[in-house]
Amino acid sequence: MPSWPALLSQAFNGLALGALLALVSSGLTIILGTLGVLNFAHGALFAVGAYAVFVILQYTQSFVLALVIGCGFMLLLGFLLERIIIRLFYNRPHEDQILVTYGVGIVLVECIRAAFGGNAQRVPTPSWGQGATQLGFLIYPTYRLQLIAIIAMLLLSLYLVLYRTSMGLVVRAGIENPGMVGILGINLRRTFLLVFAIGVVAVGLAGMLYAPVVAVTPDMGANFMAQSFVVIVLGGLGSFPGAVIGGLIAGEIISLTSAFNSSYSEVMLYALMALLLVLRPQGLFGSEGRV
Amino acid sequence: MSLLEVERINTLYGDSHVLFDLSIRVEQGEVVALLGRNGAGKTTTLRSIMGVLAPNSGQIRLDGRPIAGLPPSAIANMGVQLVPEERAVFGGLTVEENLRIAALTAPNAWSFERVYEVFPRLKERRKSSGRTLSGGEQQMLAIARALIRDARMILLDEPFEGLAPLIVRDLVTVARNLAAEGRTMIVVEQNIAAALSFANRVYGLNNGHVVFEGTAADLSANPELARDFLGVAS
Amino acid sequence: MKVVPVGRARSYLPEFAVLVTLVAAPIALPYLGFSTDLLTRVLNWGLIGLGFDILFGLTGLLSFGQAAFYGVGGFVTAYLLVSGALNSVWLALAAGTAAAGFAGLVVGWLAVRRIGIYFTMITLAFGQMAYFMENSPLSDYTGGENGIPGVPVPVLGFGEHAIRISAGLPMYTLFAVIFFAGYVLARRIVGSPVGAVLLAIKENTGRVAMLGHNVPAYKLTAFVIAALYAGLAGGLLGSFQSYMPPDAFALETSGQLVVQTIVGGAGTLVGPLVGAAVWMWLRDNLQLVPGLATLWKLVLGLAFIVLVIGLRRGICGEIAHWWSERRNYAALRAAEAATQAIEATGERIVKPSVRRARDVMLPLPSPAIGASDIALDVRALARHYGGLKAVDGVSFKVMRGSIHAVIGPNGAGKSTLFKMLLDEISPSSGDVLLFGAKVTGSGVSHAAQFGIAKSNQLNQLFPNLSVRQNLRIAALGRRRGPLRLDLLRPADSLPEVEEQVGSVLALLDLVGRADTPAHILAYGEKRRLEIGMALATSPNVLLLDEPLAGMSPAERAATCALIRDIARACTIVIVEHDLDAIFELAERITVLYEGRLLADGSPEEIRRNQRVQDAYLGGLHAHESA
Repeated sequence: MPSWPALLSQAFNGLALGALLALVSSGLTIILGTLGVLNFAHGALFAVGAYAVFVILQYTQSFVLALVIGCGFMLLLGFLLERIIIRLFYNRPHEDQILVTYGVGIVLVECIRAAFGGNAQRVPTPSWGQGATQLGFLIYPTYRLQLIAIIAMLLLSLYLVLYRTSMGLVVRAGIENPGMVGILGINLRRTFLLVFAIGVVAVGLAGMLYAPVVAVTPDMGANFMAQSFVVIVLGGLGSFPGAVIGGLIAGEIISLTSAFNSSYSEVMLYALMALLLVLRPQGLFGSEGRV
Repeated sequence: MSLLEVERINTLYGDSHVLFDLSIRVEQGEVVALLGRNGAGKTTTLRSIMGVLAPNSGQIRLDGRPIAGLPPSAIANMGVQLVPEERAVFGGLTVEENLRIAALTAPNAWSFERVYEVFPRLKERRKSSGRTLSGGEQQMLAIARALIRDARMILLDEPFEGLAPLIVRDLVTVARNLAAEGRTMIVVEQNIAAALSFANRVYGLNNGHVVFEGTAADLSANPELARDFLGVAS
Repeated sequence: MKVVPVGRARSYLPEFAVLVTLVAAPIALPYLGFSTDLLTRVLNWGLIGLGFDILFGLTGLLSFGQAAFYGVGGFVTAYLLVSGALNSVWLALAAGTAAAGFAGLVVGWLAVRRIGIYFTMITLAFGQMAYFMENSPLSDYTGGENGIPGVPVPVLGFGEHAIRISAGLPMYTLFAVIFFAGYVLARRIVGSPVGAVLLAIKENTGRVAMLGHNVPAYKLTAFVIAALYAGLAGGLLGSFQSYMPPDAFALETSGQLVVQTIVGGAGTLVGPLVGAAVWMWLRDNLQLVPGLATLWKLVLGLAFIVLVIGLRRGICGEIAHWWSERRNYAALRAAEAATQAIEATGERIVKPSVRRARDVMLPLPSPAIGASDIALDVRALARHYGGLKAVDGVSFKVMRGSIHAVIGPNGAGKSTLFKMLLDEISPSSGDVLLFGAKVTGSGVSHAAQFGIAKSNQLNQLFPNLSVRQNLRIAALGRRRGPLRLDLLRPADSLPEVEEQVGSVLALLDLVGRADTPAHILAYGEKRRLEIGMALATSPNVLLLDEPLAGMSPAERAATCALIRDIARACTIVIVEHDLDAIFELAERITVLYEGRLLADGSPEEIRRNQRVQDAYLGGLHAHESA
């Protein structure tokens, strides 16, 4: 039985990891729900975000500025990807959509590898995030706490966009019944571009924020993508609240398991998914029949 | 020139040939009823007009402008609005959000208050999500979405189906008021009595063909005219 | 698999071509930059690809987790040898393959319950799970990050004269022999009844279930086959390298398999081999070009994207497509011309005299259970959706050998009722008995096995298969039972099935179109084929859902004649809106109104029934100034 400080530390790690997964999965799930495309380039885009911030920080000291510029870059990348490739596949079978986004992912990762090599890079923790904070009897890295707070704000903004803006209204209605949205006079295809770009920005931001915590390599996003698939199955395909809650649950499962036995931490998540598939395949918030 | 001219359209549903050289016209301010047994092609006609199903041949003209083959969103923005048979209320959105999204692209959108005057029940339920509404309330919301767009021509697909007689009576009153105001409507209905109580003219459809055209008054006075497209065996 | 309307005898040209290539490769290809070791690796990937192509190319199930079975096979084999539990490499390979097959059974059972992107995500997740299992919890057995070194090579023979299969040409030969055997086996599987069902599953999964096949079981079969091939390849890899690497389990590995298959051409069996050759060649040879060294995968990725966008069939697939288009050009053009002729006149050329003369007899099916006079007993069937009662306590009986019609105005609940008759949807209460056997709750496949089949309102055909192949899948259903693993016999080798197909073709007057792909047929012909498919299952009760929908008057008359013909061999229940036709055809009519039974009797009784008149006229008589 692990000690209390160890458990608490892992609980916080779980929050940080969970927040990250929630952000990654939110992007994935709204793209899936709105465009119907399962984006297999999601992991590569995570890495692109991390490398973007790595590059920008060569030219500026301000992490916040790097985040902002990085966002702009991801937005542009998302635009280009949708306009040049993704839009060709809206009427094609799901398998083809998976295949082409997988190909995009390969190309992105190889571009990174070509530009930066395969060795791990280091992104320095921002000056305001250095050191550790005292939380009762626990001493915990400050940046990770800030990470949780920042992602919480980002998810809140995404929530506000989805539930308080006209565009979000259209997106939510479009996930439910795209045909009816057209009958009400709205050209849903125009929303696709924006939704895809937002999804790309979300996962890119996750990569940017995660970069100081871990070694930055071209393949760093693959495992996150696999985990985010489990999260959206857990939360329900196309559901934003499902992605957030599912992400937090997934993060806690991984981290708390590792407090007990670190070799099973990843495996537990997939075992949970297997269980879910048998008992409740539509997940927490998904609708039956969307399978 | 009629507001709507449907000229010899042939529409397929998948491989199935549903409409055969179908022609109807609708004048400004008229209420036209499309009657017939199901499978006759009434819903397909409405869908062809709205652009949900593009006709394979023939033409449809709105105010003289050809619209066959245009996407539904374009036709909606010309002032046509379909209230589908399945109502298609957005279950995850509230009543107010359903109305808001309907009003988004409408240049002369009604105010919420004006809509609530027609359907007071919706005002009580405005914060409820679509999936919690009863059948009658959903039908009201579906019609309200067409109204808030100030649609020039409303296509009603079986608006009274599956509703309790009291609710049908209320909706018929709303429909008659709209007709009296001069709003153009096409109604598809199996409840003949209800349809005829506010329609001006009637088309009878059978197996994708128009087999009858006349005034509602004529049909009410001589019901045996309806026998071969509505009745049981000739 | 590209459909080629060709004669009965299967061509062995592909096997021959593969054999020649395998023999020639180590001689000719080194000049093109392929070392023998590289060719051996390509064969290893080709071997996994054979199984994967049966899963993805044939059945249409995209798995991103084949690495799990590759790894299981490899590590079980390696562990058994290195730990000393087994001495014979051959036995260890068999054990590893079996272990992979078992893993495939478990994972597959979970995965095939879901379709489309769900299935792909699940396979990817299990692949990851296997990777992490290898890495940590089982690292005592697997060596964790280090893998298992020292895997021995196979040995032919015993004792002093045993030949160790060393690296280089001997190892290549071993791989080539195994690949060739695997290829021949895969070809037989594809050409077997199982293969035909799998292909049909890709074309139209729902229809396959309605024809009596146990679809999840067939999908699981394909999954296990893929896992077995992957496991064998994994075991061979360890021997080849004398080392079993952990990246056999990696997501990259699964992805590489997918990319290679698409590049080489899915559905061709040799596509993955060709794709692997392209991948390996690029990797080994681009690295030698200065400035391009690490970009080989980027080039491949871009080529892959372009292929998916524009040349989706891949290298071998496009070649096969072009080849078969050329060969069948004349036949296809003629078929299309015939279709246009039929549709232009708007009528089917009716040759009733010809059909009467043949007086086609369908083999009379025996009911699965019992021999009573009541074919279908519908008992208090009800279906609620929340507060809405779509069907509310309907009971009636369908007599054996009769033509029974179900009619009613819109919203009456006819289609819901119909779907409950063959258990397409479950009733909220009540049940349906077919000759005394309870159909409710057993699912559409079992309903079909009991002897109830449906012809759908919207055609549910297998569009890329020929008419004959469509009918064959239907006929195979009840003849073979819900699942039969006859993987080695040709699909057209069951004489009773072929005879059944022949008689249905004659009855439908489609003999001249037997080898035409279904999507080319005229609409009326497609409708007839739709009925024919239900008929080919030798049903005791045939449900016809709006068989006359969308037909011209001449086609209606012909179809009514067809229905009367069919009624000689089985009981028929029809839902229709064309009341004129119904009153001529039906012996008994059940009328539904608002989910309830309104009337049930002979056509004359129904015609005279005032309440039925009122229901259809929507209260026209009752109309007053509202």
